[in-house]
Amino acid sequence: MTFLALEGLGKRFGSHVAVDGLTLGVEKGEFVSLLGPSGCGKTTTLQMIAGFVEPSAGAIRLEGRDLLAVKPAKRGLGIVFQSYALFPHMTVAENVAFGLEMQGVAADERRRRVGETLELVGLAAFSGRFPRQLSGGQQQRVALARALVIRPRILLLDEPLSNLDAKLREEMQIELRQIQRTLGTTTILVTHDQAEAMALSDRLVVMNQGRAEQVGPPHVVYERPATPFVASFLGRTNLVAGETVRPEKIVFAATGLAGKVRTRIFQGNHWLYQVETASGLLTVIRQNSGEAMPGEGEQVHLAWGKA
Amino acid sequence: MSRNGPLALAYHALFVTFMLAPILVVCFVAFTPEGYLSFPTDRWSLRWFYAIGRYPEFIAAFWRSLWLGALSSAIAVALSVPAALAIARYRFRGREAMTALFMSPLMIPHVVLGVAFLRFFTQIGLGGTFTGLVLSHIVIVLPFALRLTLASAVGMDRAIEHAAISLGASDATVLRRITLPLVLPGLVSGWALAFINSFDEVTMTVFIAAPGTETLPVRMFLYIQDNIDPLVTSVSACVIAITVLALVALDRAYGLERLLVGRSGDGR
Repeated sequence: MTFLALEGLGKRFGSHVAVDGLTLGVEKGEFVSLLGPSGCGKTTTLQMIAGFVEPSAGAIRLEGRDLLAVKPAKRGLGIVFQSYALFPHMTVAENVAFGLEMQGVAADERRRRVGETLELVGLAAFSGRFPRQLSGGQQQRVALARALVIRPRILLLDEPLSNLDAKLREEMQIELRQIQRTLGTTTILVTHDQAEAMALSDRLVVMNQGRAEQVGPPHVVYERPATPFVASFLGRTNLVAGETVRPEKIVFAATGLAGKVRTRIFQGNHWLYQVETASGLLTVIRQNSGEAMPGEGEQVHLAWGKA
Repeated sequence: MSRNGPLALAYHALFVTFMLAPILVVCFVAFTPEGYLSFPTDRWSLRWFYAIGRYPEFIAAFWRSLWLGALSSAIAVALSVPAALAIARYRFRGREAMTALFMSPLMIPHVVLGVAFLRFFTQIGLGGTFTGLVLSHIVIVLPFALRLTLASAVGMDRAIEHAAISLGASDATVLRRITLPLVLPGLVSGWALAFINSFDEVTMTVFIAAPGTETLPVRMFLYIQDNIDPLVTSVSACVIAITVLALVALDRAYGLERLLVGRSGDGR
């Protein structure tokens, strides 16, 4: 039996359709990302699971039971919000302990579990601080600890890393994935960041205009995009004679599509080319192997394996 | 911040002088030994401060004003919390009308309110009572309490309450443990502003108060209609001194800027 099932889930605000008949099954322990541009309905979907938005159509089942009949406070879900939404008037320890307090967990058991969870996110030394005394990354960890400490049936992450700078975001991605693997918590991530979604998830749900365009493991969705939207949203693509070609699949060859290098940008581990051809401007990405590469203005031939 | 030029400095100095001079003059005159309002004076005396002791109705009026202000402001704040939360969060029919209604006492001249309340309270048997004073003062200070409560309710991140709910908190717990503590700075500053307005109010109160329920400003107003001695200046000096002490105490406890701007100080 599917752990979490969204069945024909829909939400309209007046005449605007935010989510349009979304059907999705999530297995226990799975990490699933809802990926799409802003306004695609991914956050609304998350809020319907959390219970803050009431669906106009469809059903949500958790372990076969109707989740919509359960009040948001009784759903037992851990949520990490984009703004972190920490309680500013409580210390880190009080923030994390809040959910246990609501469950009526005894004080010493509470202290033990708060300590364990803060240890898990690497903030054991900060339990007496207030949120405003922490950096963005630390606040993010507190939010994660607060959601995890109640041992949620599902962890919901709403753009949790979007307020962090690039380097910190990458570190948190690795950490988040490790923590999720360690605890085995079923997790749903909402994000517009395709790199983040691909890095973290077991499966992607690429959403557009309230619908799921494609569902599958990241490498499958990337290699075999089901629709032009998925192809263009996930990574860079070239459209050559109705066929989508990934820039890193194109090589410089002795024969093939003739073209002229318009720009060449060095990006450390790879080169990024814009090549003018009879089929239009193509993007080409080549690994930096330390060898000499065609320069700007040079005539080249492009080849790629037919998919 | 850019530095002020000499012209701006002169302007500011003049402005501050203009605002403060009357207050200083009142304090100086309070120390006169003469039986009339004399300024400047070269002799000093506490005569008119001692004189306050001979007028127990001034002392009684002071305490009455204090209680009236504290009580009406507290009730106004209590009423404005649910109103502010509703206005800040929900889009419902009559929302604009409700806001306008709560703010309307600001628009209506206090003279008009005074006459209306006088008539109304006499009709329902509250004429000249302390209850009547409290009710009328709630009406006039409500806009001030609501404004600042609303400001802190609007500035609050809804996700914080959602977080508490998702962790299993009931609606009552969310209100008590999360919402109220977070809007508290707004409530405190709303109460303070409401209190100042109630304590200061004379135009409307003079119609409603009767002998025995006169507030301090009303008592002073009535006194100077019949007397020209400096008693009111010594009373004023006392009120000014108390105000300054209260402001210093509030600044120490809360930070005055935060209080008067009505900003949530605990926010990120």
